[in-house]
Amino acid sequence: MLSVPSVIIFGIDIVTFSVDLLVIYAIYLVVSLTLNLEAGYSGIPNFGKAMFVAGGAAVAGSVSGRLSAFIVGINFSGDYSNSAPVIINKLNAALSLNPILSVEILLLGVALAAGIGAALGYLASYPAIRLREDYLGMLLLASAQFFQIFLRSYPPVIGGVQGIEVPDFFGWANTGPGARDIVILGVVILFAVSVYIYCERVARSPLGRTLRAIRDNEVASRALGKDDVAIRKRVIVVASAISGMAGALLTFYVESVGPDTWSRQDWTFPFWVIIILGGAANNSGVALGAFTYAFILKTTDKAKFLLQGILPSTTFNYLQYLTFASLLVLVLALRPEGILPEKPSLTLKRQSVAAIIETRATAPHQKREDSSLKEDG
Amino acid sequence: MAIGLTLTYLTTKVPNFAYGSIVTIGIYSALSFYSLYGISPYGALPVAFILGSLTSAAIYLGILRTLARRGSSLVGLMIATLAIDIAFVGIFGLYSDYLYTAHRVIYATNFPQLPGDFSLFGVPGIAFAAPYSLAMITLGLFALLTETKFGVAMRASIENPSLARVLGINVEAVYIFAWMLAGGFAAMSGAYYSLWLPGGIDVGSKLIVEIFASSVLGGLASIYGAALGGVIIGASEILITTAGVDVFGSSVGIYQKGIPLVFMIITLLVLPQGLVSLKVGKAVRLIRTLTFARLLKYLHLRGN
Repeated sequence: MLSVPSVIIFGIDIVTFSVDLLVIYAIYLVVSLTLNLEAGYSGIPNFGKAMFVAGGAAVAGSVSGRLSAFIVGINFSGDYSNSAPVIINKLNAALSLNPILSVEILLLGVALAAGIGAALGYLASYPAIRLREDYLGMLLLASAQFFQIFLRSYPPVIGGVQGIEVPDFFGWANTGPGARDIVILGVVILFAVSVYIYCERVARSPLGRTLRAIRDNEVASRALGKDDVAIRKRVIVVASAISGMAGALLTFYVESVGPDTWSRQDWTFPFWVIIILGGAANNSGVALGAFTYAFILKTTDKAKFLLQGILPSTTFNYLQYLTFASLLVLVLALRPEGILPEKPSLTLKRQSVAAIIETRATAPHQKREDSSLKEDG
Repeated sequence: MAIGLTLTYLTTKVPNFAYGSIVTIGIYSALSFYSLYGISPYGALPVAFILGSLTSAAIYLGILRTLARRGSSLVGLMIATLAIDIAFVGIFGLYSDYLYTAHRVIYATNFPQLPGDFSLFGVPGIAFAAPYSLAMITLGLFALLTETKFGVAMRASIENPSLARVLGINVEAVYIFAWMLAGGFAAMSGAYYSLWLPGGIDVGSKLIVEIFASSVLGGLASIYGAALGGVIIGASEILITTAGVDVFGSSVGIYQKGIPLVFMIITLLVLPQGLVSLKVGKAVRLIRTLTFARLLKYLHLRGN
């Protein structure tokens, strides 16, 4: 029996608030890291991030509900998106008794999301490697906007304008108040940490250095035999697949998915704020930026909730847009490299560097054929 | 609208994502005039023009030029315009909240098309006014760029800023003027827009796709191309959708907004320089070399 104590300060349940903040933080972190991989390391201006996250979220929400209703054996008349509100409670009850099935469908949803993300990324990479960055930015932005219109106006995917409800695949974990959210938090943090480690490893690998080389001087890197087209394509596909997975996890967390979420204001722009604020091409900077963003977002959301009677809640949304936009412009003007600037990549451990310096110092004329030195070049 | 975007792109070489929001300025000036004073959107045109041009100049001077001088990259500037656009969505939102609380204007965040249009032969006046102003603006720009000394200076500063500077042209002033003109046109088109279609706080941000598509189709480097692109995109959106609805039923109508995107992708992949790069070029070159006056004379002679 897992239960979460509630600590209430100023009418806010701090624990619930922190859990929610951390879940959102982890998801934002993942998407920002992938954007950093594209924009920070490889110089691909992805102004259509919303499309890839939305793709993952939509397919996960759309397939998982139908599939679980089919497996559990709940009949519904007409389209799933219309009958979801009616059957969702029965479905959740059945799923919470069957943790293995829940986890299986959950994993399948995430895998499908990764697949659709990769597919969209592959589509996007076709123009991406042929166009100049300004044209590419426009094209991706336009595609993302159209994708949102598509989700809104094509009901079979996620029920058109209203969106659809998604069954709760963590119902089995709900053994005490707040326990479900703690389990989800564990899952998304695990996911975020693995993506972080992956991105950091890529950044420090020879591939990471190649990416920066292509970003900084395409012609020179091509002359050195680096296939910039293939590498960019790979970056977009991988980054989009991970973004899709993040979208799927968000869908499973909030238990619904609708088209209006995936606007440019809410799902493309924030990640640019995060990587510019934290520092492009620096993963720890991105982690810091994502936390700053998520913290401001969630505290102002809370303030919006508390001041409901005094100010219209829309006013707060508008103030949030205004704040983040001004923040971005200020950072661009005053500290364009971000809080934590890009650093030369560390390829060797500090001790081995020290050891090399020492051997150099004691035997300056001796030529060394050390393999660890070669790796750096 | 696309004309203005092309103008700003020409001067700074940055795709201006905030451009759509200046269109929204026009829409909101029309709304304010109508709901507060009962004046038709046509009456809002001058105010829209002034507000739009001032805002546009402020964006250029206050943000883009400052950032560029501090060494921002192209992508940095693009993000800055994206940020401005989002800030504007916030500002219009706050403004509509203000309209609602202070003046009880309901539906200020999303309102239907505004009344106040006159009608001519049973057709709404906007159907005449909008194409007429497009023609006037294109002709006016054409005359400005080819006939006046300032226009020549403007072309020079756009095509080769450093050489123009050497010749003593105040390139900065020219750029500011271009941005003001662009902002003014955008806001004016916004006021027209409010007569024809429903308005809202993010209409401009959503329109940006069509505007970019028009500019790209026409060729981002040509003002005349932008006018042409605008007409083609606008017309094809309506015509293809109507044809599609006739053939496949009403369900395809929702994909109307996909048409500009398709145009944009095809143009970018097949004809990245836009329509003006086509080798209908002879005619284009003829028009370009002819000055405006000679063109008139030419037409006059042929008329005889």
